[in-house]
Amino acid sequence: MRTTVASRSSSSAFMRFCRDYGWAYLFILAPVLLFLVFTLYPVISALIMSFQHYNPMNTTWIGLNNYKTLFQDDVFWKSMRNTVIFTIGTVPVNIVITFVLSYFIFQMKNSWQTLFKATLYLPTVASGVTLSIVWIAIYDPTSTGLINRFLGLFGIDPVIWLGQSSTALFSLMLMNWLGSHGAGIILYLAAMGGIPKSLYEAADIDHASGWTKFARITWPLLKPTTLYLLVTGVITSFQVFISVYLMTHGGPNFATTTIAYLIYDTAFKFYDFGLASAQSFVLAIMIIIVSVIQFKFLSSDVEY
Amino acid sequence: MARVEFRNVRKEFHDQQKGTFTAVEGSDFVINDKEFVVFVGPSGCGKTTSLRMIAGLEHQSSGDIIIGDRVVNNLHPKDRDIAMVFQDYALYPHMTIRENLSFGLRNLKKPKAYIEQKVQEAASILDLESMLERKPRELSGGQRQRVAVGRAIVRDPQVFLFDEPLSNLDAKLRIQMRVELAELHKRLGATIVYVTHDQVEAMTLGERIVVMNKGAIQQIASPTELYAKPRNMFVAGFIGSPAMNFMDAELDGNRVLVNGTVLELPESMLSSSLADYDKKKVILGIRPEDIYGEDFVQNVKVEGKMTTSVQVVEHLGSENLVYFQVGERSVTAKVHPETKAYVGLEKTFILDLGKVHFFDPETEMRISD
Repeated sequence: MRTTVASRSSSSAFMRFCRDYGWAYLFILAPVLLFLVFTLYPVISALIMSFQHYNPMNTTWIGLNNYKTLFQDDVFWKSMRNTVIFTIGTVPVNIVITFVLSYFIFQMKNSWQTLFKATLYLPTVASGVTLSIVWIAIYDPTSTGLINRFLGLFGIDPVIWLGQSSTALFSLMLMNWLGSHGAGIILYLAAMGGIPKSLYEAADIDHASGWTKFARITWPLLKPTTLYLLVTGVITSFQVFISVYLMTHGGPNFATTTIAYLIYDTAFKFYDFGLASAQSFVLAIMIIIVSVIQFKFLSSDVEY
Repeated sequence: MARVEFRNVRKEFHDQQKGTFTAVEGSDFVINDKEFVVFVGPSGCGKTTSLRMIAGLEHQSSGDIIIGDRVVNNLHPKDRDIAMVFQDYALYPHMTIRENLSFGLRNLKKPKAYIEQKVQEAASILDLESMLERKPRELSGGQRQRVAVGRAIVRDPQVFLFDEPLSNLDAKLRIQMRVELAELHKRLGATIVYVTHDQVEAMTLGERIVVMNKGAIQQIASPTELYAKPRNMFVAGFIGSPAMNFMDAELDGNRVLVNGTVLELPESMLSSSLADYDKKKVILGIRPEDIYGEDFVQNVKVEGKMTTSVQVVEHLGSENLVYFQVGERSVTAKVHPETKAYVGLEKTFILDLGKVHFFDPETEMRISD
């Protein structure tokens, strides 16, 4: 008898819960399912795959062998070096360029601000493929290429920008410097607009020079935005792929092979999905470590 | 410390779409050395613009501004030897309180020992000593306000400018800070120009008050004089809480006719100026505290009686506000809490006719005694 009463009471509580929160959980279910199927499941599968010699017909467990192979592979270390150089060479430069552009745009009237924001945001919404094709034309190794034509005005011979080891990676970095500031500018402009005008007025009364106002007020108060751009910039740079794939195919002589491109090569050229998964996990761990370090060392004096 | 003078100062703002807007119109005044002067008026009256022009944060369209014995028209804010406390305090959020206080002195490249001494002095005056290593976000509104004042004090400026510094505080803290600011003025003996829209703040703090409306100065006087002899209906209505009551009236010799009620004026009221309005329409002004319920009259020498129906009663504890209608105008009486009053009661009110004011209905200027 008691059991029946207890089971009736728990069933009515469940019904009440469904009535009160059922719709809410139903709506949450859709994104949760998408996350489970398309994010969590592939990540866990890739983690398992990184310990396997993957073959659709005959997959074998090989423990840490993929990781051992990876760390003994010269191309992996070269791609790591290229990725780090690309990141160090693009992220800080991009932040400086973005900041300087934002600073000047912020001084302009509203209509000019809108024009520059829209113009500089265009490369962000344009397809990476389109941009790469445009830059292939700019880097054309013959004398008809835009840069070579410009250099020709000064009597300089055409340079094979993307076809020689000494200039290929730099060429990809230059393309990155000149085309990816739109989102950063929007964020910096919003942050600059959020600094109360009264702080600058108080500084004016407090004998602050233009430089003091910049160094002691503007820059420190933009640190959260800078930190955000730094972290997301590093993550994006570590994953650079489209421009490498379309413009250099990682060459010449692996001079532009980045980790993301190496993962693609390993998985879809050599069909070694186990090794590619191991490379992916090393990349993910690197990104986590670098992000944690950035937060630890840069966010200590950030005023949110 | 120094005096501040405005000579026919005018400020216009230009907007391509809205056209030209005059924020301050031909402003002329002198603030004496060590004086505490309060600018008061409704939003958009030009009081903050006037203060910002003294600071050099806005440049006047015409006229001269003098601080001490220097015309400062073309001087940068830093060269005017002023300090300002902003409405939002304008504390640097990423700096500690010590850094906030010392910012100005460090920019002036003062010796470290001197800076430390000044910071300690200011912190001691304002009771901030235990908070010097904290950041502004860790402080309460009142403490932040004190830091903003401290930042002004350390510089020993000729003139202190306060832009509605208490407007972000709750009512209790505002009263406390008001007292502290008054004490600070006594202690520093500084020239202070203070802007507020709160007439109670103006009356309690100011040695003299500049009442502004629509960019023009309406009256400059001591709090007592403003209350007793307002220059026009705007000042009369702005100073005092609840505001002065206005009633349409007509003069006839020593009698005044208000909505069918005849009031006999005392001899002392019949000035030559008022005589010019004989048989003419005037506006009669009387403060709510000068109207009594018939059952609770105190020290009224010349009484005028008016019987009307009570519309609303507000019980404030120490007093009651009783609202009734005279013609088309609503009238408020601030009466003793034991005065019998309830909605619908037909009640006789006593007007202290020795304290009424008369205004010209067209110019709205006070008809002087």
